[in-house]
Amino acid sequence: MPALQTTTVGSFPKPPYLQRARNAYARGEIPMEELEKSEITATKQVVALQEKLGIDVLVDGEMYRGDMATYFAENLGGFTISGLVRSYGNRYYRKPIVVGPVEFKKPITVERWLFAQSLTKKPMKAILTGPYTMMDWSFNEYYGTREDTAMALAEVLHLEVKALYEAGARHIQVDEPALSVRPEEVGLAQKTLAVVTDGIDAKFYVHVCYGDFQKIYPRILNLPCQHLDLELANSRYELFEQFKAHPFTKELGLGVLDVHTHVVETVEQVKERILRALEYLPPEQIMVDPDCGLKTRTWEEAKVKLEAMVEAVRQVKKEKHLT
Amino acid sequence: MDFQSLTTTVVGDYPKIPNRPKQAKHRQAMARFAKGEITFEELQTVENEVTIEVMQEQAEAGVDIITDGQIGWEDAQTYFAAKLDGFEITGLIRYFDSNCYYRRPSAVGRVAWKKPITVQDYRFAHDNSDRPVKPIITGPYTLAKLSLHPAYDRFGDFVLDLADALNHEMLALQQERPILIQVNEPAITWHKEDAEIFAEAMNRVMKRVEIPCALYTYFGDVVGLEDVLKQSPFQIIGVDMVWGKANWELITSDSWEKTLALGLLDARNTKMENWDGIFEQLAPIFRTIPKDRIMINPSCGLEFLPREVAFAKLTHMVNAVKKHRN
Repeated sequence: MPALQTTTVGSFPKPPYLQRARNAYARGEIPMEELEKSEITATKQVVALQEKLGIDVLVDGEMYRGDMATYFAENLGGFTISGLVRSYGNRYYRKPIVVGPVEFKKPITVERWLFAQSLTKKPMKAILTGPYTMMDWSFNEYYGTREDTAMALAEVLHLEVKALYEAGARHIQVDEPALSVRPEEVGLAQKTLAVVTDGIDAKFYVHVCYGDFQKIYPRILNLPCQHLDLELANSRYELFEQFKAHPFTKELGLGVLDVHTHVVETVEQVKERILRALEYLPPEQIMVDPDCGLKTRTWEEAKVKLEAMVEAVRQVKKEKHLT
Repeated sequence: MDFQSLTTTVVGDYPKIPNRPKQAKHRQAMARFAKGEITFEELQTVENEVTIEVMQEQAEAGVDIITDGQIGWEDAQTYFAAKLDGFEITGLIRYFDSNCYYRRPSAVGRVAWKKPITVQDYRFAHDNSDRPVKPIITGPYTLAKLSLHPAYDRFGDFVLDLADALNHEMLALQQERPILIQVNEPAITWHKEDAEIFAEAMNRVMKRVEIPCALYTYFGDVVGLEDVLKQSPFQIIGVDMVWGKANWELITSDSWEKTLALGLLDARNTKMENWDGIFEQLAPIFRTIPKDRIMINPSCGLEFLPREVAFAKLTHMVNAVKKHRN
C-alpha cells in the first residue's frame, strides 16, 4: 500500500434536509421515494466532500442507515425491531430482536454501493455490521446460545459479502464495535469473521472501537482481515506500548480524530499522533482515519476535522519525503 | 424487619419513555430543555410526572417494593459524582458489556459528601406512592471502579473515601425511615480480586446505619465472594441468577442466614420468562431457605428494555410469584 493513505470509518453526519425528510417519513408525511431522493442528494454530497478533501478510500456516508445493527436486522429474515431503549443521555434507539432463524432475503447494500462507486473513480468501501456485533446488540428470543446466534448471522452476512464482491467491491469493511468488550469471546468473533470472509478475495477491514484494546491484544491480530481499524485518539494511544512486545502485523487504521467531542483537532495535534505511530510502524502499514463514524458530529465539525486530518497527512508526507 | 413470603421488588431504573401511541414526555422535555425552550423547573415538573407514572406502572404490575424509577438520573454514576466534592464528569464510555454508555466521572480532588443527593427525590417518591419505595445508591466500589481517579495514587484510598462520603448519604436517608435502603454494586462481580477492599468499603458505607439495607450484585456471579457477602452488614443480598448462572449452584449448596433477593427476570432480553420452569428450578432452594427470606426481582435495572416489555415482564413475574407464596 502507498504510504499514509487516508479513509473514514463509515458514517457521516446527516445534513439537516435529510434529517427533516427522515422525520417526515417516520411520521408518514412523505413517501419512501421522497426520502430516497434526499438520501441520494446527501450521498452525492458526502462523496463530493471526500473527493474535494483528497481522501483515498471513500465511503458512502450511510445516509440511509439509522442504527448500524438495526439497519441490517430490518433487511434480514428472523428479526423484528423493539420499542425505544436508551443508549445514553437523551439518545434512544430501536434494538433488533431475533425471533426466528435469521435469513438472507436479498442483497441489502449492493445497490447503494454500486451507486456510490459510480460517483467516484477512487475505491469505495462496502461496509457492513459484523455478526458478532449484530448478535451482541440484539435481543435474542430464538437461539439457545450467543455462539449459535453469531454463527447463524455469519452465514447470512457471508452472502451479503459475496453479493458485494460479485458487484465489484474490493474494499470491504466489517464493523465489530462490540468486539472490544468480552476478551473471552475474541475467539468467537474470529470464527464468525472467518465464515463471513471465506473465499472472498477482497481487502477486508475490521473496525473495532470503544473498549479496552489492551485486553484483546495481541489476540485480535488473528482476525481474518488485512486491515484492523482501531479507535486510538480517544484511548490516548496506550496500545502502542504493546506493539513492542507483540509487533502489529496488519495494516493499521490509525484513528486520529476523536469523534465524540466538538473540539476540532489542530493540524499539529494530528501530525503528532501520526508521528507517534510512525515510531512503531512503517508508513506503508498505516492508513489514517477518524476514530469512528462521524455521524454524531455536525456537518461543519466533520468537515473541519477531516480537513485537519488531510492537511496533517500532507505535511507529514512532505517532511518525511513520502509519496 | 420481616418481609412477606417471596416479596417482589425491582433493582433500580425503569424505562423513562413509553412507545407510540403514548407520548415520550421525558424525552421531549429533555430535548426542549437542551435547546433552552423550557426552564430547569419545567423539566423537573415533567420528571416528577413521569416518576409518578412509572411508580403507578410498577404498582399496577403488582410489585411489592418499588423504586422511583430513577427518572432524573442520566446514569447511575454521574447522578452521585456530580453532587459530591472532588469530581468532574468526562467523556462517554461503555457501561459494562452493554451497548449503553455513561459519562465517566473523574476524581480530580479528594472526594467528599456535601449535602443530601437522593433525599428530596426519595421524599417525593414516598409522598406520591401507595406502595413502599426503596431509595437506591450506587455503591462506593462500583462508583470508584467506573470512574477515573487522578487525584489518588491508590485505588483503595479512593474506594474508602467514597464509602465514607456515601455513608453520609445513607445516614441522611435513614432519617427518612424508608422500608430499606439499597446499595447497588454490580462491578464487584467482574473484579473479585478486590474482595478485601470491597468488604471494608461495605463496612464503612454502613457505619451507624441501623435500618434494613440491601446489597445488590449483578451482571455476573458472586462465587468466591460468599464469605464477604455473609459477613457484610446487610440484611438482604441481591444476586443475578440470569447473567450469573453460577449463583444457582452457590445458593443451592450453601447455607444462607440473610435474605436473598434473586434476580430471576432477565432484564437484558425481551424474551418472556418461563416461570413454571423457573419455579421448578427453585424447588431445592425453597427446601433450605424459607420463603420469607427470599425476594424475587429482575436481574438488574429495567432500562435495557422497552417500557412495554418491562411492564409485561414484571406483571408475569408477580403473577407467577403469587401462585407460589403459600
